[in-house]
Amino acid sequence: MVTRYLVKTGNRELVGLDFRWILATNIRSRIEPKDIAIIERSKNGFFYGFPVAVVENGQRLPTTDKQQLAQQLAANISRVSTLVDEAKSLQKHDIGNINYQLEQLRLDERADKLNGSLTSAKQHAYLAQTEALQQSYKILEQALFELRAQASRDSIVMLDMSGKEVSLKLNTVLDLTYPNQLNWLQKLAQWGSGLAKFVVDDPREANTEGGVFPAIFGTVFMVMLMAVIVMPFGVVAAIYLHEYASKGPITKIIRIAVINLAGVPSIVYGVFGLGFFVYMVGGSIDNLFYPEALPTPTFGSPGVLWSALTLAILTLPVVIVSTEEGLSRIPSSIRQGSLALGATKAETLWRIVLPMASPAIMTGLILAVARAAGEVAPLMLVGVVKLAPTLPVDLNFPFVHLERKFMHLGFHIYDVGFQSPNVEAARPLVYATSFLLVTVIVALNLTAIGIRNHLREKYRALES
Amino acid sequence: MIAIDPSVIGAKNTDLADLTTQQTALEIRHLNLHYGDKQTLFDVSMKIPKNQVTAFIGPSGCGKSTLLRCINRMNDLVDDCNIDGEVLLHGHNIYQKQVDVAALRRTVGMVFQRPNPFPKSIYENVVYGLRLQGINNRRELNDAAERSLREAALWNEVKDRLHDSALGLSGGQQQRLVIARAIAIEPEVLLLDEPTSALDPISTLIIEELITELKQHFTVVIVTHNMQQAARVSDQTAFMYMGQLIEYADTDTLFTMPAKRQTEDYITGRYG
Repeated sequence: MVTRYLVKTGNRELVGLDFRWILATNIRSRIEPKDIAIIERSKNGFFYGFPVAVVENGQRLPTTDKQQLAQQLAANISRVSTLVDEAKSLQKHDIGNINYQLEQLRLDERADKLNGSLTSAKQHAYLAQTEALQQSYKILEQALFELRAQASRDSIVMLDMSGKEVSLKLNTVLDLTYPNQLNWLQKLAQWGSGLAKFVVDDPREANTEGGVFPAIFGTVFMVMLMAVIVMPFGVVAAIYLHEYASKGPITKIIRIAVINLAGVPSIVYGVFGLGFFVYMVGGSIDNLFYPEALPTPTFGSPGVLWSALTLAILTLPVVIVSTEEGLSRIPSSIRQGSLALGATKAETLWRIVLPMASPAIMTGLILAVARAAGEVAPLMLVGVVKLAPTLPVDLNFPFVHLERKFMHLGFHIYDVGFQSPNVEAARPLVYATSFLLVTVIVALNLTAIGIRNHLREKYRALES
Repeated sequence: MIAIDPSVIGAKNTDLADLTTQQTALEIRHLNLHYGDKQTLFDVSMKIPKNQVTAFIGPSGCGKSTLLRCINRMNDLVDDCNIDGEVLLHGHNIYQKQVDVAALRRTVGMVFQRPNPFPKSIYENVVYGLRLQGINNRRELNDAAERSLREAALWNEVKDRLHDSALGLSGGQQQRLVIARAIAIEPEVLLLDEPTSALDPISTLIIEELITELKQHFTVVIVTHNMQQAARVSDQTAFMYMGQLIEYADTDTLFTMPAKRQTEDYITGRYG
């Protein structure tokens, strides 16, 4: 029996591997140097080494002891990270906003040109607006470059494993810690901040580093959109089948067909969604409402709306079946009580039957959400992408952009685990993301179960 | 509230067939009813007088509940139920095509065998019928709720917990709540389908007293299994057997001097 250790190595520019196996018999000694530091970088993963000096404008700052060096480092890193954050926010929000407005302006102008209402006055107005925007774009760009230049002023000199000095630009350094100097409380804090980064940060380096926030947001947003779509359709269909449809062979066939829909492989729904929703419906919408953007599709390409609709069809049978079950469990004496008071059938449904069936409807929704949140295959055809530059919800009017592509935790797992350039390095991320996906599904379900239990308590039916 | 004609109340109708239109709340004419192939009611004709209590008695399966449900068209809910004949309310046949069934049921209220309160608060149960009519004025609803609960002899027991769930009431209270709910919309006729069969003797007694009160404002038709009950609360009684109306007379006459042999056999307990 030989013990093998899986060791994370880092320093990717020196050694290509992120992990390597080491046999216990090959280990001669272990040391835990107190002043070794871990640097988390925005490129090339982690760097392990001993800090030597801080460099400002090409000049090494004089350092007397390690204490002082650590203080210098902390100060310079926080200065740079403020600058980097500022630059990022400038680029993402202000410049992104101007780009969006420019694009809208271009589309407006083209729309006017297409329907022949582009007068020369209008054209001048467009030109003036575009110029004004471009002017402010240039100013912002200047500011951005300045920030970046300031951020790239400093660097840090590190001693690597082989004893060579390596210089790292501080603007790529996200975080520096001395892991062997931490007590357990600090370790806990370190772990917590790592967790927070994982949940709220954007991914970096082809998804192998950074957080998964866009994927969490995309998953939850898409599932909620799906729930909003599937609920009315499923409930109305169930009411029709159970209350209004005559009990003939056709109703029976429809019911069997609905139940069998649940057995169709999910990728088939993806193909259907791509053909019907994306190309047919989306294509028609583009022709009717967004002709100015063509040939670039607006709704005619995969997006979060089509994903939600596809999953809504996928989960429709579950909602129909459980709603019907709920409707059939309501005692006929209660319905008759309402009818005998002069209520019509529709009034009885709306005021008595539906509220009493609401726990069953919620059960259907819970099952639908559970199924939809974990579904990946159909989404790959109708809207999910590896990296979405923008969220489906942002501050640009109309705030909710249903035509946009989105990221999804389930697809993220597949992508990080099997499609990324550095599968080894991403392995912890695969486990963490899987766990997160399960957590998100459980959270969605618990919310729905909470609502259902509340309704159940409220509409506790007669025990007879 | 319905104006009460003093000549009607308490009048002994020795001959129920000779009631004037004014005295009649309902008239049933040659009513036949089939469930699929099976005939359940055979040529039933009777006049039900205003502001009195009329009881239907008879053995199980004799069609008395079916007849009652014909009066507010609850049988419409049953598939393959065919009715021919007429039920006249205000001189109009309620089975005509243009009749608004919901409006009919507002005029002819019904209370069922088992208490069936809605899973809402006591208050919301009582005002349900009013809300259906689009009444949402708080004062109006409060007044109607209090008045109906008082009439149903329930007010004192529930006035402090009107907004608690109706399902927390006892069976007898629930049945009175259901009666309050039915009279809140001020119907003219109140149909009671064995209203006490699921209740204990004390609740039964309260409801029987209530029925006697109710006839001041409503015409009451009650189906009962219990002959003593019919004798106690009703002014006239109809005895039914095998879907046929055997005998219909004022209660004292029917119980003391039944005209038909079958009636006598039933009330003396020889069958049923």
